[in-house]
Amino acid sequence: MRRLFTFMLTAAWLAAGSVLAAETTTKGPHGEAATPAASVTLTPEQEAKVRDGKFTAALSWHTTSDWSAAVGNGAKDEFGRLGIEVVAETDAGFDAARQKSDIETILAKKPSVIVSLPVDPETAPEAYRPALAAGTKLMFVDNAPKGFVHGTDYIAISSADLVQMGAKAGKALADALGSKGKVGYIFHDADFYVTNQRDQSFKATVAATPGMEIAVEQGLADPARAEDIGNAFVAQNPDLDAIYVTWAEPAELVLAALRNAGNTRTKIVTLDLSEPLALDMVKGGNVAAIVADEAYMIGVTAARAAALGLIGESVPPFLAVDAIAVTKDTVKDGWNQSLHRDPPASLGVQ
Amino acid sequence: MALDRPAGLPRIGRIDPTAYVVYVGFLLIFAVFAVVLRDSGFLTASNLLNIVQQTAPVTVMAIGMVYVLTAGEIDLSVGSVVAISALSAAVVMREHHWLLGVAAALAAGGAIGLVNGSLVAYGRLPSFLVTLATMGLLAGVARWMTNLQSVPVTDPTFTGLFGSGRLFGIPSLLIWTALAVGLGHYVYRETRFGAHVLATGDSPRAARAAGIKVDRLRLKVMILGSLCAALAGLLYLGRIQGARYTLGETDLLTVIAAVIVGGTRLNGGAGTVVGALVGSLLMGMLNNGLILMGLAVSEQMIVRGLIILAAVALTLREPRR
Repeated sequence: MRRLFTFMLTAAWLAAGSVLAAETTTKGPHGEAATPAASVTLTPEQEAKVRDGKFTAALSWHTTSDWSAAVGNGAKDEFGRLGIEVVAETDAGFDAARQKSDIETILAKKPSVIVSLPVDPETAPEAYRPALAAGTKLMFVDNAPKGFVHGTDYIAISSADLVQMGAKAGKALADALGSKGKVGYIFHDADFYVTNQRDQSFKATVAATPGMEIAVEQGLADPARAEDIGNAFVAQNPDLDAIYVTWAEPAELVLAALRNAGNTRTKIVTLDLSEPLALDMVKGGNVAAIVADEAYMIGVTAARAAALGLIGESVPPFLAVDAIAVTKDTVKDGWNQSLHRDPPASLGVQ
Repeated sequence: MALDRPAGLPRIGRIDPTAYVVYVGFLLIFAVFAVVLRDSGFLTASNLLNIVQQTAPVTVMAIGMVYVLTAGEIDLSVGSVVAISALSAAVVMREHHWLLGVAAALAAGGAIGLVNGSLVAYGRLPSFLVTLATMGLLAGVARWMTNLQSVPVTDPTFTGLFGSGRLFGIPSLLIWTALAVGLGHYVYRETRFGAHVLATGDSPRAARAAGIKVDRLRLKVMILGSLCAALAGLLYLGRIQGARYTLGETDLLTVIAAVIVGGTRLNGGAGTVVGALVGSLLMGMLNNGLILMGLAVSEQMIVRGLIILAAVALTLREPRR
């Protein structure tokens, strides 16, 4: 009886543990467990085999930004090191139909592998099917087309640890506020897996911090409207201690709103590095912390996994790089670690 | 542009060598790509076919825009109509026959055109401002319709007819392009309606004096432009087998550039459907060729912008009216 009780207690504890784990670890789009990106490496023999293969690669982005450029640079550098020539690069401008056209166009160059971030997982199968038919391998960043099977249709997904990013943003803000305060929450109001996971993880972290609360929240579909939302937040809640903004571009506009209102009290925390925000942070302005992923490493990992896939090696389905909380004192390290370059000279932290 | 003047109608255009610039430019750019990209698959039949298929929705929208611009109006809401019509069709097709989905898309397009056109023709409001407003309004509706969710479409008959299939070995998007251009060209050049559109755009006052019901014509043209956009939405839906609120969002400027580069006047009174087709193909060919050249995304954008600027500068160098 006592053994049975102990068994049940253990089972309940394990079940509770797995529920907690599900909420606090990043899952891939199909619920895959995350594998640390650093575990993906090639042996010298494998590298030699890749070089002998005379492979080519193409990159198809959902849009272009500082972040996608860093991922692209990581991929290009690693492909270059492995002797894989990058023959084309495209930008779909968040347009699913255009991405389909981009893939079709790329295929005229018959690349061995395409590294791509799908704009819309729902309609993406139709976009990437011609690549599969042509025998081109697929390696994804952040997300995979719905219904595609790891190992059969694509090599793997390389991504940030999205839950870790949101959680680190929440923790960084708690540190800045002394674990006490009212927070405004501007989340991405779109069905986009990346921002959705980051936003929800931030919210959960704040909710789990005694003394902190989400006092007001507003979805954001058009980044250009962030300034209006920021203005409305502080107009309605003059005692707001901080505002979380879903990514850097709208956060710059929220910062502008606070500055115009002469507000030096309300802190900002956001995700993805930005020079204007970092400048404000090093000058002791509103920005308390910027959380970034190791974007360059996402690209390096994608290239490594692609190379392994090209020589027939299997790779775990979902590879996640770490997140970094960048504060006033860690700007230089943050830039180096995330984007693989020094911060802009204007920040004065060289 | 006497090229497009129906026989026997008053002279409302003039023979203008710049009308041919788009054709020469198209051939020139094609030749450059053919030489530079000879080893990069540009000239393969599948790649050239890709260009025509990829541009089909833009071509269909461009044909509608030729009529709208020729009549002296503009429709900025076409991109939003694409999203609304595709989403309408996809939502209806979840439960009903695909024909009802197609009807829903065209009805949505027609209704939007009716509202836009009524405000322009009878509300006496400038089409630029009316459609600027409805563009934003409809983009909001598209986001709201399915709560930002994409809606897949799996009916094989629909996806085959509108985008993914072939008829007698010919891709359906090629057939749609040919039908739209053929019909659009015929109506523009050979019918009373086409002549009235030209006359209205050239001089509304003269058109009215000649007995043309200018207001009703404006309404019809705005409905036609929206219907073309709705058809483009269906083509996107068939092609990517799903609808999403961002469909068509970036197409407006491509459509206008294709139409203007093709030789249609921005301020009305002259235009060409075949030119719009060539303009649209030129845009598609630029996208395709610059990617195959292996240029970085930023370089692609700069070169594309420069070429379009050159094309516009050449086509728009018409004598002052």
